[in-house]
Amino acid sequence: MTKSIISGGVYLPTLRIKRDEYLSALGSCSAAMREKTVMDIDEDVITMAVAAARDALADLDVSRVGVLTLASTNFPYQEKALAGTLVEALGLDKHVLTSQHGNSTIAGTEALLAALGLLEQTEQQYALVVVSDAPTSGPDVDMEHGFGAAACAFVLAKDEPGLAFEGVYAQSGETMGLRYRLPGETDIRDIGVKAFATLDYNEMVKAAVTGLVSKLNRNLADYRHIVMHQADAKTAAALAKKMGCSDVQTKEGSVFADTGDIGACSSLLGLCRVLESAASGDCLLISSYGSGSGSQALSFRLQAPLKNSGSFQARLEDKKYIGYIQYLKQKRSI
Amino acid sequence: MGAHISIPMYQRAVPQRYRLVGQRCGACGKINFPPKAVCKYCYQGTSFEDVQLSGRGTVYSYTVIAGGGAPPEFAAEARCKGSYPVIIVELAEGPRVIAQMVNPPEEGIAIGMPVKAVFRKIYEEEGVIRYGFKFSPA
Amino acid sequence: MESVAIIGAGQTKYGDFPGLGVKELFAEAYLEMLQSVDRGLEQQRIGAAYIGSLSAGSGFQLGQLAPLLMGHVGLPHVNAARIENACASGGYALYSAACAVASGKFDLVLAAGVEKMRDVSSSKGRYWLGVSGDTEYERLAGSTFAGIYALMAARYMHEYGLKREHLSMVAVKNHRHAVSNPKAQFRKEITIEQALKGVPVAHPFNVWDCSPTTDGAAVVLLCNAKIAKEFTDKPVYLKGFGAASDYLAIHDRDSMTRLLATRKAADEAYKQAGVGPKDIDFAEVHDCFTIAEILAYGDLGFAEEGRAQYLLEEGFTQLDGKLPVNASGGLKAKGHPIGATGCGMACEVFKQLRDEAKEPSRQIKNARYALSHNVGGSGGTAAVFIYQRGDA
Repeated sequence: MTKSIISGGVYLPTLRIKRDEYLSALGSCSAAMREKTVMDIDEDVITMAVAAARDALADLDVSRVGVLTLASTNFPYQEKALAGTLVEALGLDKHVLTSQHGNSTIAGTEALLAALGLLEQTEQQYALVVVSDAPTSGPDVDMEHGFGAAACAFVLAKDEPGLAFEGVYAQSGETMGLRYRLPGETDIRDIGVKAFATLDYNEMVKAAVTGLVSKLNRNLADYRHIVMHQADAKTAAALAKKMGCSDVQTKEGSVFADTGDIGACSSLLGLCRVLESAASGDCLLISSYGSGSGSQALSFRLQAPLKNSGSFQARLEDKKYIGYIQYLKQKRSI
Repeated sequence: MGAHISIPMYQRAVPQRYRLVGQRCGACGKINFPPKAVCKYCYQGTSFEDVQLSGRGTVYSYTVIAGGGAPPEFAAEARCKGSYPVIIVELAEGPRVIAQMVNPPEEGIAIGMPVKAVFRKIYEEEGVIRYGFKFSPA
Repeated sequence: MESVAIIGAGQTKYGDFPGLGVKELFAEAYLEMLQSVDRGLEQQRIGAAYIGSLSAGSGFQLGQLAPLLMGHVGLPHVNAARIENACASGGYALYSAACAVASGKFDLVLAAGVEKMRDVSSSKGRYWLGVSGDTEYERLAGSTFAGIYALMAARYMHEYGLKREHLSMVAVKNHRHAVSNPKAQFRKEITIEQALKGVPVAHPFNVWDCSPTTDGAAVVLLCNAKIAKEFTDKPVYLKGFGAASDYLAIHDRDSMTRLLATRKAADEAYKQAGVGPKDIDFAEVHDCFTIAEILAYGDLGFAEEGRAQYLLEEGFTQLDGKLPVNASGGLKAKGHPIGATGCGMACEVFKQLRDEAKEPSRQIKNARYALSHNVGGSGGTAAVFIYQRGDA
């Protein structure tokens, strides 16, 4: 059975804050995005997830969805799954198989892989993958400067032309990554050792990407787009260069400059962005990264244009800027 | 002190709140939303078929609730935004419904402007987030 | 059906009374009512009592408020019941009392209303005010009563070219009327400039478009008209009384520029009284928000729907106009103690039709018929009464 992504969906909150606002309010900004997405006070990862999922399902028969997988590092409940909220909001079949993934920014590709597996267990034609994230920390934490918010969704189908899944390769191990969050806390903590964290990122992602390419008997040069997890403006691009990728291969899948650090969504939103211009025959590679786990690299080949590649560009352009004081109000910091 | 809508009461209304499920009257064919036990158009029909509403409509009337005057459970939202709009939407399928508007246009809301339903947090009670529909400019 | 007369009426001053609870407020109005019965009353002859209240003393006595209050004034064994229809609770108490007398079952029946709103935090106060609309929809849309009436005002403006100034003209008029009413909460004139520039509440309303929160009580004594002259030479006859409902949620109603409950209640009252809008000499109408008075002009037949604003421009409803409306100051300036309001209107009419508005400046002369109009919430319920002076 071939499994392909046949439709994509995107949600970016309308509110944006420019990096300049940090500079004028705080004198500095620890993150090098141009601007980033900010949730409104009545938004959370679930409302963003519903919006992205509705975008992906726009022209499809929702009753044929048999699998729903969901990922975020910032679910609003510690105990209470949110798949049911999506089932109701989207009007999915009540017998849908669900799984929910969190605890690390690797959760996004985990949800995609889980959906590929669960699709084997349903008579239905489609699986829906929704990844929605908004990392959070206090305004006094430097890492917070880069935190944005976004959601994306994909519909996987059995034996239908689209973006065919070709394979996955993982690198797992004890890795502290960049950050962690303790039970009961809402703020992410930075491990505070940037050079070590970068080294870990480089080793994990490189191992997953090179492992995947060699497993599929390809070269990195065979891929039109290579999209990596982007927790900052430079680390992913620098690693890509070291691995021998060209700027052309990585440029289009970069989203950090426009959204900031969007956690588990990062490389998947990048995938949505490249899908808007990808042509039949293109090979695409995405790799995730998350603390405590490592990296997963996935390979796809576009067999036929998607029915709906999502509204990345439209959402990117629909925006309203806010100042830093209003930003703190949105975050309920004041 | 906020309005009290119990968790069971809220959950019973989930199909209408999360995705605007209306009811088509078996007697006259008109669409009721929110649901009724007896059709509000013909006063006869008591059996209905669920219909998924499009979530599209136009502004029938509007107001902007000023920060200081918001109900207690919306006080945080009012503090954040200064004020927020509440509109009556005439849905494409006929019924009217009251809800909040998000992302109101800078130039102000106008009666007749097209809107579409979005899924948002409505309020929290007992720590439980109550999700539901609001409308944004279409 | 028996004819109904009013032979006594009393009310507290409306306002903010930190020293008085719901029992004390009720007792004050009750005792004033007793004193107003010209030839006195043997209290134990009262057969029944209907007491309107929304919050039952800010929620402290949600059950069986009526026996509590009647026991407090020496009538522990009277047939007593609380009536609740939000802001129309008092009007429905009066309507219920009128029906009880008209049925012939009782000769003397008390209609009363009481509200103690200022005992709680403003947050709790807003809670009480906000649970009489459709809680699941109107409240959860983040709206307040001001918001619901504001939606009506915006629609009226859209359909009929009503201007912001017209809303303020209602506020200015009613504040001016309240100046000489010793029972009123706000006895201060405001200018149109002030009224246009208040603190925003719910677009297009500012604070001057809204009635205040108020403590107060009002008590009216009804009797079978056959025995009215036993008690006074100047009874006021309750010639017509009507009440009707509508969808609670505004989005369920066909029109937002009229209140069908008021229209149906008015039809019933006019028909019973055998008079029409043109016969009315003055009226007390439910102006909880400025637009509400404008809607009432249309719904009560004083103007065509959509043309109510011209009555204001012409001064038609001022104290010296052809049809004074809210000579008391209305809910806007006299005050709006929710459950008491409907009975408080009857107190004002009782005084006016007996030429007992002691302040000569506000006595309406030569009035024969009067009307009072009480609305629950945004029009989920309404009661309309038509009165005729009895000394002629």
